[in-house]
Amino acid sequence: MTMAFDEQSRAILAGLADALIPAADGMPSASEAGVAGTWLDAVLESRPDLAPPLAALIGKARGREPGAVIAEFQSSDPGAFGVLAELVPGAYYMNPDVRALVGYPGQVGLDVDLAWPPDWLTEGLLDPVIERGPIYRDPELGGARPPRP
Amino acid sequence: MAEQQTNGATDHSAHADVLIIGAGASGSVAAKRLGEEGFRVVCLEQGDWPDYEKARADKPDYELTQGRDWNWNPITRMWPGDYPIDESESDITPLMFNGVGGGSVMYAAHWHRSMPSDFRVRTLDGVGDDWPLSYEDLRPFYERLENDMGVSGLDGDPAFPPGPGWPLPPSPLGVAGKRVARAHNELGWHWWPGPNAIATRATKHLKACARRGTCLWGCNEKAKGTFDLTHWPDALEHGVELRTGARVRRLLVADDGKIRGAEYVDRQGREFVQTADVTVLAANGVGTPRLLLASATDRWREGLANSSGLVGKRLMMHPFSTVVGLFDDDLRSWEGPWGQSIHSLEFYETDASRGFVRGAKWGLQPSGGPVSMTRTYPFGDNPIWGEHFHENVRKRLGRSAMWGIIAEDLPDERNSVTLHPTLTDASGVPAPRIRYRADENSNRLVAYHQARAVESLEAAGAYEVVVAPFIRQTGWHLLGTAVMGTDPRRAVVNAFGRSFDHPNLYIFDGSIFPTSTGMNPTGTIAAMALRGTEQLIADRRNQAAAR
Repeated sequence: MTMAFDEQSRAILAGLADALIPAADGMPSASEAGVAGTWLDAVLESRPDLAPPLAALIGKARGREPGAVIAEFQSSDPGAFGVLAELVPGAYYMNPDVRALVGYPGQVGLDVDLAWPPDWLTEGLLDPVIERGPIYRDPELGGARPPRP
Repeated sequence: MAEQQTNGATDHSAHADVLIIGAGASGSVAAKRLGEEGFRVVCLEQGDWPDYEKARADKPDYELTQGRDWNWNPITRMWPGDYPIDESESDITPLMFNGVGGGSVMYAAHWHRSMPSDFRVRTLDGVGDDWPLSYEDLRPFYERLENDMGVSGLDGDPAFPPGPGWPLPPSPLGVAGKRVARAHNELGWHWWPGPNAIATRATKHLKACARRGTCLWGCNEKAKGTFDLTHWPDALEHGVELRTGARVRRLLVADDGKIRGAEYVDRQGREFVQTADVTVLAANGVGTPRLLLASATDRWREGLANSSGLVGKRLMMHPFSTVVGLFDDDLRSWEGPWGQSIHSLEFYETDASRGFVRGAKWGLQPSGGPVSMTRTYPFGDNPIWGEHFHENVRKRLGRSAMWGIIAEDLPDERNSVTLHPTLTDASGVPAPRIRYRADENSNRLVAYHQARAVESLEAAGAYEVVVAPFIRQTGWHLLGTAVMGTDPRRAVVNAFGRSFDHPNLYIFDGSIFPTSTGMNPTGTIAAMALRGTEQLIADRRNQAAAR
C-alpha cells in the first residue's frame, strides 16, 4: 500500500514540479500532465520507496515559493532535489499524451534481423575499412602490421 | 589435522571434486565444463538468481525502476548478496552484480577478444608485463565461448587476425551507426559493426533481441548472453550443485598447504564447511583477493596464495569516458541494442608520438529514453530544468549518439585491494578497501581519446559534442589483483590460473590479468576460464588434493 498524499500536499508538489517542467514549446506543464495526480499515484505504485522522502520534502516546501525551494534544494539539499529529479520527469513521461508529443513510443520491440541487404552492407560502407588492411600489430612480426591479404 | 579451526561449523555436505566460489562469468564456464565431464561440482554463490520479473523494458515505469532494481553499484544497493566496500581512496567505484551470472547480468554485452599485441605488452611497449600465453593460445577458447554466448558480429574486421567469424549476424548499424561509419570513412579511421553477446537470432538458450535498448538494466527478452542463461541450465542439467545465498568467509588450508575447501554461511547465519579436492576462486577482481587475504593463518600470515606479495595489488579498472554528440536528425537513439552498433579501434594500438602508450576501444551506443535525457550524466551539469526544459529534452531525445571509451590502465602495485581494519560484512568478513589512482599515462590517454571522439562525432555532423563529466561509478572491469605469470616470485597463478602456493587452488576471474587491455574483458575472462578448466580436466589424474 502506498502512502497517501492529500490535496494540499499534491498542490505543493504541483508547484515544485511546474518550476522544473513549466508549460512551453507546445508541451504541458508537469501539473497539467498529471504529475501531482494520476501519475504520482502510478509512480508511487512502482516506487513506494520515493513516498517517505517526497513527504519530507513537501513538508519543507509548505508555505514557500516553489522556485526558492527548488533553488535551495539544488544548492544545499541534493537528496531532496534528487527525489524530485527522479519522480517529476518519471511521472511526466509516463503520461502517454506527453510521450506522443515528444515522439517517444517507449522501449518498443523491433525486429533485429534486417531485410536483405542489411544496412552494414549498403553504400559500400565497409570497403574503405577493408581496403586499408590489417590495423593490428603482430608480435610474430616484431609488432609490425601484417601485410594486406 | 587441519591447522585452521572452523568455528564449530558443521561439515555435513558431501565432499566435492571441485568447489567453485562465485557463479559469474568464470565460475559459470568452469561449472558447465566440469559438469559435462562428470565431476561432482558444488558452486557457492553469495547472491541470488537475477529477477527478470523486474526487467521492465516493455513497461511505462522502466526508466523509473531501472536504477533501483538494476543498480550497478553494490555499495548503494546493498542487496543480501552484496558486501560493503570502502572506496574512499579510489578515483573509481567498483561495480558488480553479486549473483548468478555475475557482472554479465548488468553489462552492455560488448564482446571482444583482446588483440595479439595485448599479450606482449612488455615486449612491444616496454611497460606492464607480457602474458604467459599468446593470442593463438587463447584463440580456440575464444571461438568456443563466442558460440556458447551467441555473439553477433561481422567477420573480417581488420583489427583482428582472420578467423571463422561470429556465430550470429550483427545488429543493424542504425541511423547513428551509419552516420558515424560514413564519417570514419571520410577521416580514414577504422570502424566495424560492433560484436555483442546479444542474440540477433534465437539460439539454444537465448531468444532473439527485440532492440529495446535496455541491456544494462535487465533484458526482459532474455536475448542478452548472460551466464545465468547461457551456462547454468547446462551446468545444472549435468548435476552441478549451485547454492545461492552462500557467502564464503574463508578458504580452509591443510597442513600440507593444499586447500581443503571453504567455510561459508547461509542467509540465516548458519555455518557450513564444503570440502573439495580442488577449489576454484571466481569471485571477481575485488572478491577474490579479499577472500585470499581474509583466509590468512599463522602459517600463511600474508594471506593464501600470496608468497609473491601480489595478492590484491595491481588493481586495474579501466578509466571510462563518454563522449556524446547532438544531431539535428532523428536518430531514434533510444532504440537498442545497447550493445554497440559500431566499434572503432583506430587508436587502440600504441603510437608513442601521442605522448602515452597503449590505447582504448570505442563503442557507439544509444542514449536512452526521455527521463535519461534529464540526468546529469552524460550531458553534464547544463541546467535542464525550468524555462528551457522542453527545448533541451527535444535536443537530446532520439538525437544523441554516444561513444563509450574503454581506456587501458597499466598495472601499478599501489592500486590495490586490501582488507579494511574495522568494516565487515554481515558475516564478519572484513570489507575490501580499494585504493586506485589513475596515472599520468592514463590521464593523457583519456584526454587524447576524448579529443579524437569529439572529432569523430563532429565529422558525423553533430552540431554540439559533450565530453561527459568524470563520474566515479564506472568500475565495471575489476582486473589484475592475482596476477598470472611464469615466475612464482612475481605472480600468483600460472598460465592456467593454478596457484603457485597451493597446487589444488585455481583462480579464473579477471584477477589474473597481467595487463588490463583496452577491451571489454568478459570475453577474455571467460576464454581464460575455459582454458584453465580444460587443463584442470586434462590433469585430473595428477591433481593433488588436501590430505
